[in-house]
Amino acid sequence: MHFSFQHFLRASILGAFAAFFLYQHLTGDITNYINPKYGFMSKMAGGFLVFLFLIQLSRVWRSSTGGHVHCSSSCDHNHGYDDSFLKKFISYSILIYPLIMGFASAPQTLDSSFAENKGTMLPQAKDSEADSISSDEIHDQEPLPNNNFIREEDYQKRMQYLKESSVINMEKDIFSSYYNAIRNNSRDFVGKPIKVQGFIYREEGLHFNQVVISRFIITHCIADAGVMGLLTEFEQAGSFEEDTWLEIEGELDVTVYNGVELPVIKAKRGRIIEEPSNPYIYPVLREMTN
Amino acid sequence: MYRVFRTYSMDVTSIFVVGIVVSFICINEWIGEKWLIQLPNSFQQLNTIFLSILIEAIPFVLIGVLIAGFIQIFVTEEHIQRLIPKNKVLAVAASCIVGGFFPACECGIVPIVRRLVAKGVPIYAGVGFLLTGPLINPIVIMSTYMAFGNDIKMASLRMGVGFVAALLIAFIISLIYKSNQLKHSAADSASSVKQLEQKTFFHRLEEMVKHSIDEFFDMGKYLFIGAFIAAFLQTYVATSSLFLFGDGFIESTIVMMGLAYILSLCSEADAFIGASFRNLFPSTSILAFLIYGPMIDLKNTIMLLSVFKARFVVTLLFFITIIVFICINLITFI
Repeated sequence: MHFSFQHFLRASILGAFAAFFLYQHLTGDITNYINPKYGFMSKMAGGFLVFLFLIQLSRVWRSSTGGHVHCSSSCDHNHGYDDSFLKKFISYSILIYPLIMGFASAPQTLDSSFAENKGTMLPQAKDSEADSISSDEIHDQEPLPNNNFIREEDYQKRMQYLKESSVINMEKDIFSSYYNAIRNNSRDFVGKPIKVQGFIYREEGLHFNQVVISRFIITHCIADAGVMGLLTEFEQAGSFEEDTWLEIEGELDVTVYNGVELPVIKAKRGRIIEEPSNPYIYPVLREMTN
Repeated sequence: MYRVFRTYSMDVTSIFVVGIVVSFICINEWIGEKWLIQLPNSFQQLNTIFLSILIEAIPFVLIGVLIAGFIQIFVTEEHIQRLIPKNKVLAVAASCIVGGFFPACECGIVPIVRRLVAKGVPIYAGVGFLLTGPLINPIVIMSTYMAFGNDIKMASLRMGVGFVAALLIAFIISLIYKSNQLKHSAADSASSVKQLEQKTFFHRLEEMVKHSIDEFFDMGKYLFIGAFIAAFLQTYVATSSLFLFGDGFIESTIVMMGLAYILSLCSEADAFIGASFRNLFPSTSILAFLIYGPMIDLKNTIMLLSVFKARFVVTLLFFITIIVFICINLITFI
């Protein structure tokens, strides 16, 4: 019997990766990394990593007679087993780095500095985007309980509600659809009361009394995050720090910014709120009922 | 006696490894509370983005390495020689079509192509497969269709133009390169499959999984490096700095291609990002983004560099860029 330290190390790393994936799902932190719609994939990956881990365990001890039995000389004999110590050290450091970071730090939520890098108020068209992902897609991606999808009738009802209700409430699950509707037909909504929650983001060129009440929208993982923000005007806007979470109530109006007509909220009331535990919004998926 | 010892030592090892993993987690959480708090906020965001790219990519990489393991253990060189057309042009066309039906993402496909080429698939056929695999597949078509407001035009242009570009690139590669361009040649693979054929199916299945594990460790580090650089650029470089080039048609196409390269998005998600640029750029530039990104990006260049000779990867990168750019420009005249 012969103990292989490399196989032992690899088994530990696989185990730690499996633990990392499952841990993210258990703690719910996964929603701060990816759109829960794709959570099924990473759950499967977690399970599969456990399986790989078990198989890898069987390789830690190998019979001393077999020699290079790990893959019956079927590979090109260069799976990094024969590299120099330094090379191995670097490879394994790279492999362990995300694990250290993953377990040591809670996922950091994106803030206004990231929004600045992304640039938002540059009129972004997200008009029809993900609003209408059909059932086919949902079958592919396996729906989840916390999935942001809405039955077609409910969706229509809520979109209707947007036009008829006395106050537009930008709730998290319908945010992107309402945002697009308001953004694309800003004139239709002039004078409508609105209630919205988001963090303060300032872009160059804004007046002292203007801020953008923003949310990040995650399509797949946070690397593809985009900003959805409503321009908001109120007297004391300048006195709030960036990244402060506010709940704003006000009335919609239109303004011209960079030569483009945009909706703007004339705020009447506002209060500081706690950052939600999951601050992100996801594109709305509609389930076709027929 | 030997068997008893073996199972016993297995149990002990398992407990030991699990213990190591658990203590690793605990130590890290402790380190996190003690020191990581002091790291700058932007660095923590960088790490979060880095991890999110990994969480997104690892499932696809696992599928990729599993298929690579399957090819390694179950596919012989004779199979490949029978299936790949002798004629170069036919081989290129066939590989592009097969790639079109193959649901892979650009990081998962690298280990598969490496295994195929090591098994004797000509390099140009491998390239055809590499290019169309992530670009043209049912999931990508579906997401593109939806991202552009259920409009079939963008999705079909993406497929059509992408397919033509892939054909051209693979054909050019077939003119330049004859040998397999792998960093390490795998000469002994043929005999090993024969050797394995005498073993039981389950034994071969076990070999396949073990092989996949090795492949995962091989590719993993390059994926991580690529993901880290992509996350770094996203955190510290403003998207708007890309606009320095100007906003003419040619410039905006270059900007969108650069963006596709740096962002290293998974081809299943990039349509939504592409769609969000519709007000800033002409649709042909967005098409360039949609075609170029899945073919090559930062993350997968680094993975390719680990497999193929650097000179080959640079040549490939060059031709992909030029051909996609020309194709996009031609489209505007039609």
